[in-house]
Amino acid sequence: MTRVPIEPMGSTVRKTNSGAGRVLVAVYGIFALAATARAGVQLLTKFEQAPLAYLLSALAGVIYIVATITLARGTRASRRLALIAIIIELVGVVSVGTLSVLNPEAFPRATVWSSYGIGYGFVPLVLPILGLAWLWRTRPVNPQ
Amino acid sequence: MIDALAYVVIALAGVATIWGLVTAVANKPPGKAQLLFAAGVEGVTVVQSIIAAAKLAAGFRPVELATTIGYLIGIVILIPIAWFWANAERNRFSGIVLAVAALGVLAMTLRLLVLWAPAG
Repeated sequence: MTRVPIEPMGSTVRKTNSGAGRVLVAVYGIFALAATARAGVQLLTKFEQAPLAYLLSALAGVIYIVATITLARGTRASRRLALIAIIIELVGVVSVGTLSVLNPEAFPRATVWSSYGIGYGFVPLVLPILGLAWLWRTRPVNPQ
Repeated sequence: MIDALAYVVIALAGVATIWGLVTAVANKPPGKAQLLFAAGVEGVTVVQSIIAAAKLAAGFRPVELATTIGYLIGIVILIPIAWFWANAERNRFSGIVLAVAALGVLAMTLRLLVLWAPAG
């Protein structure tokens, strides 16, 4: 976590794991825990009831874990992974949210992303937007 | 689990959440009293989870056993991790990190109150 990345000369990197970024990592960490634990319970105890919903829960858990670790590391390489994870997260919560509202039968059991994360105070919908905003705020700057 | 103890955890976690936000607004890192208070919340939460584990071991079966166990483990790990994360870089955001963890404990304890009903 304290490893200093080797950067090309003349560029500065504002770290994703500093300042307000630490709060973002904390929130991502809680969702990593919540989504993974939830998916674990669902997959182990009642997989056959709603395989699609439970696999999506597991995917959400993995995405949150990747986002938490990469944002907490804050290196140049981890920023790229964080960006990918958070884009998948945004697409996931918007598409699962929309599908679960339009076609509730397809999602008979709740996932973190059902109805845009209503069960978690809509934080799952806001979180990827904040994540992308934070990656933009801390983007590397190459002085002219 | 003991319901009365759950309400104590909820109240203490609520205070810890507000305290964290107050120091953030004041642009200060969490003070010693605040960190000790967070440790106290953690202590009561651990007692709660141990009592619940003892009741489960004695044969109590909630409707959603696996989920309940997950929450009982979850509520005791949030504050220690947040404590470490908040102290590794001390500034106003440390208080918000503690507040986020305390809010998590609060929400999970509320959920546990619902989960802790005997299987019919």
